[in-house]
Amino acid sequence: MNPEFESVVRRHLTWLEAAAPLPTEQPLKDLGLDSMRAVDLVFDLEDELGVVLPDEAMTATTFATAGSLWDALTEAGEPASAGGA
Amino acid sequence: MTSDLLTPVDTAPTPELDQRVESVLPVVHDQARIVDDQACFPGEGLAVLRRSGLLGLLVPTEFGGLGGTVPDLVRVADRLAGECLSTAMIWAMHCQQVATLVAHATPGLRARLLPRIAHGEVYVASVTSERGKGGHLLTSKAPLTRTGGALHIERDAPIVTGGLAADGFLITMQDGGDTDHGADGRVSLVYADRADLRLTTSGSWNPMGMRGTHSVAMRIAGTVPADQLVGVPGDFRTAAVDTFAPIGHIAWAACWLGAARGALGSVLDLLRGPAGRKRFDLGSDLLRTRIARVRMELDVLAALVAQCVRDIESGGDLAANPVQLRLNALKVVTAERSHAAVDQLIEITGLRHGYLRDSPLALERTLRDLRSASLNYSNDRLLLANGALALLDRRVTLAY
Repeated sequence: MNPEFESVVRRHLTWLEAAAPLPTEQPLKDLGLDSMRAVDLVFDLEDELGVVLPDEAMTATTFATAGSLWDALTEAGEPASAGGA
Repeated sequence: MTSDLLTPVDTAPTPELDQRVESVLPVVHDQARIVDDQACFPGEGLAVLRRSGLLGLLVPTEFGGLGGTVPDLVRVADRLAGECLSTAMIWAMHCQQVATLVAHATPGLRARLLPRIAHGEVYVASVTSERGKGGHLLTSKAPLTRTGGALHIERDAPIVTGGLAADGFLITMQDGGDTDHGADGRVSLVYADRADLRLTTSGSWNPMGMRGTHSVAMRIAGTVPADQLVGVPGDFRTAAVDTFAPIGHIAWAACWLGAARGALGSVLDLLRGPAGRKRFDLGSDLLRTRIARVRMELDVLAALVAQCVRDIESGGDLAANPVQLRLNALKVVTAERSHAAVDQLIEITGLRHGYLRDSPLALERTLRDLRSASLNYSNDRLLLANGALALLDRRVTLAY
């Protein structure tokens, strides 16, 4: 997971403490991600990391954890790092 | 709502059928703009449909066809219509004729004709229109005459879709039968190969939409063997009620819905693509509710299509009032709402992407095409029928 990804995801996790690290395995819904926010998260990731998730990836599995979301993004393409988006 | 609801449902046709459809879509897509610009028949599209085997989708496998089902018909019509509604309607109306031939033709005609259709040799056009009858399906003023073992056809038709390209015609004729009594109101359906007919075409074709369907006025004359009368002499009504009308309504609805589905898909590609993301605010409540409404309309229409497919596949009585009401409603409501959905997509995408003729979304073409839907066998006529039928169904028998 790169810092840009973490920064985008963090914005959508209302229950994650600002100082706490982004957990890889904790369910994102436990951190405040609901399905409406998930849609906005997808758009932000696409805008800022330059990777488009295919429709087939729009599943609960993809959005289960930060780790699974990152895996789906890397499968869909190379997420841009700083300055690349 | 949970994220689980984002999981796509697998509704793909069989891989083999899907491949046949995929093989024709690029040609159909590429030809769509040209046939619209020039109001010409999609000759290349028909050529690839012939080669693909899809002209024989509904021909049983024992005659060399694909043995396709009504859901297959819906899926293929939807895919074709997503690229070019004219081509889709030409194919769908051919399938309507084929379904009627499969269900009602004599064994001799089936044996001669169905293999040729399956091999892509015969594209069948429908001749039901007639001057002075105002679009009534179950009437005809041109009398069918007989000499020995032959049927004589002589008939004017003001509109024959694809008439110049068709290899065969399924024609409604007034038919009192051999007894020559009470011919009025009795109609027979007759098949004729192009080679057996003398055809004179007239008139020009410059409509608002559906410009690729290149419909012409035709004078049709010729003689065919007696076994080319399809169904019971003078009783086209039976074939119309159990095959011709229901398959026609479902095929048309699948085309219109497919065109709207294709339009929404192309709009979503635009909105979600890099260019669209700069131009449109995907977080806008207005955009989201408008998109939601369009999608909702298409889901509602698809559900009605699916119910009518179940009505046909259940083997129940298609002449029953509640089923007739539904099949008529399918045609009327799909015609109205597919058009309205595309109109709304133009509102969403605006002047540049929605209204310009050379926009890649082709929404203005699709809107013009879909404007024909309410007129193509008039919604008013079906609403009058449904008004009468609804008054007779006091229990209001719905499908669930």
